[in-house]
Amino acid sequence: MSQPSLANYILKRPLLKRWMMPIANWYTNAAGYRQLGLRADDLIPEESETVLLALKRLSQKESYDRVFRLRRAVQCSVTHQLLPKAQHTTPEEDYPYLSPIIQEIEAEAKERSDLESLTVGKKA
Amino acid sequence: MISRSAIGRNAQLALRRQSCAQPANRRGLAATVSGSTSFSYDTADVGGVKVASRDVAGPTTKLAVVAKAGTRYQSLPGLTTGLEQFAFKNTNKRSALRITRESELLGGQLVAYHTREALVIEAKFLREDLPYFTELLGEVISQTRYTAHEYHEEIEPIIHIAQKRLLGNVSELAINSAHGLAFHRGLGTPLEPSSSTPLNKYLNEESISSFASSAYSKPNMAIVANGADQAELTKWVGEFFKEVSSSASGLSSEATKYYGGEERIAHGSGNSLILAFPGSSSFTAGGSYKPEISVLAALLGGQSTIKWSPGFSLLSKISSSFPGASVATTHFAYSDAGLLTIQFSGSAEAIRGASTEAVKALKSIADGSISKEDITKAVALAKYNALEEGQNIEAGLVSTGAGLVQGGKAFQIDEIGKSVAAVSADKLKAAAKALLEGKATVSAVGDLYVLPYAEELGLKV
Repeated sequence: MSQPSLANYILKRPLLKRWMMPIANWYTNAAGYRQLGLRADDLIPEESETVLLALKRLSQKESYDRVFRLRRAVQCSVTHQLLPKAQHTTPEEDYPYLSPIIQEIEAEAKERSDLESLTVGKKA
Repeated sequence: MISRSAIGRNAQLALRRQSCAQPANRRGLAATVSGSTSFSYDTADVGGVKVASRDVAGPTTKLAVVAKAGTRYQSLPGLTTGLEQFAFKNTNKRSALRITRESELLGGQLVAYHTREALVIEAKFLREDLPYFTELLGEVISQTRYTAHEYHEEIEPIIHIAQKRLLGNVSELAINSAHGLAFHRGLGTPLEPSSSTPLNKYLNEESISSFASSAYSKPNMAIVANGADQAELTKWVGEFFKEVSSSASGLSSEATKYYGGEERIAHGSGNSLILAFPGSSSFTAGGSYKPEISVLAALLGGQSTIKWSPGFSLLSKISSSFPGASVATTHFAYSDAGLLTIQFSGSAEAIRGASTEAVKALKSIADGSISKEDITKAVALAKYNALEEGQNIEAGLVSTGAGLVQGGKAFQIDEIGKSVAAVSADKLKAAAKALLEGKATVSAVGDLYVLPYAEELGLKV
């Protein structure tokens, strides 16, 4: 279950991208997850078969890091604190590590359902 | 009441049938044959890829890529099995699901299997679909993605199940053990990894992928087709096998040496005893091919080829006096060595009795006290078996492919028949004598309290 977004639409248009980037950066920072040391992909809800499968396909290192980030963020949240500035997620670190896998699984499922509803016609 | 129209219809049908009735021995015009009826292969070299095909008449085609990547050539345990399982999985161009569905729509069948020397990726399909399946095989070989998730989710569980299946199969355990004793490394590697092989240490998608790059390189494989037009096949192979790497470093293993010895494995479900002797290499190897070994295998036999009779073979006569034991003689021929095995299975007591008699029978061949008639029968049977193997599409594909990759010689059916027919009684006697004088390989699996030692049978190990 990847997040719905207009990102692709905007990224394709340079003018629109130039306008939107400052707003987007401000918004992501304001969302507050970076101050808890999380990445955007950590926020994708886990409660679906697709995401669960994607989590299983993560490499060992990445899945360990993910658990670490989540536990640290929960700890921060419980104690009503933010991480020290040095430990905030930088924009470079905030790359999608899970959504490509989710998209791959969704593409697989879509292909399967497409093939399932395939009708066989005569060769032209 | 029967309606009028129904009666009329039946009468019409009856009339039509009458006029169609034809005598059984009616002769018609022969159907035109699309291909040649020869059983020998045409070989060609298409941009570095060896291609062999025989255009047997018929509407179906069998196309196979035979790579010199059997268990003998694997650099780490289990790689061949892993690579075999990765056949027809996701490629850069299409997904595994699409491959399956598309070939289902065309009525094709896709198979991958391996022997000790060759890894075979095979497709069977209707003759007109040759371009599609040639492209598919080319893609499987050069574009498979070897993803981690497919390995963990689909391949690993299958390998684990196969390991467990092997553990319960007494006769396969015995064959693997005999090969291990006879050849140690190389050909002695078990055909499937047994459950105590520490696979996790060696097998992962990366090691499989790097093995694939050397296994599927141009000098390391051959394309063999049955029922395909040579010109057309050459054309499509030239088009679709361009991306296969042509690095000169194919896989290789050291020359096989025969060791021999004895191994006993306790097992609770069944008994199997193998007496094995050094055999002859396969026909395609050339020099070290000894036709007398296959005649000896036919003479020893064990399984009747004729209904309602134990047959002429020495071991089938013996096994009929030991109910509960079954005997089979097999000659495993490889590119540079062979193993002649006599396998007993059944109850331990019967095996004990039958194996003692079997060694006596082998000694009687070495003495020359076998009737001329039996030898004639054995030669005829060995010739038939060899020719049938050549005619049999399945075996012919593998042996031709292996022959091409190993030594550049295809399986030529005419020559093999001649060389088997030329075996004389003296040659046979000398061969049996040599076997008994050399070191034997004895492997017993099952109830070790009853199963005999090699020493008790009178064999040297």
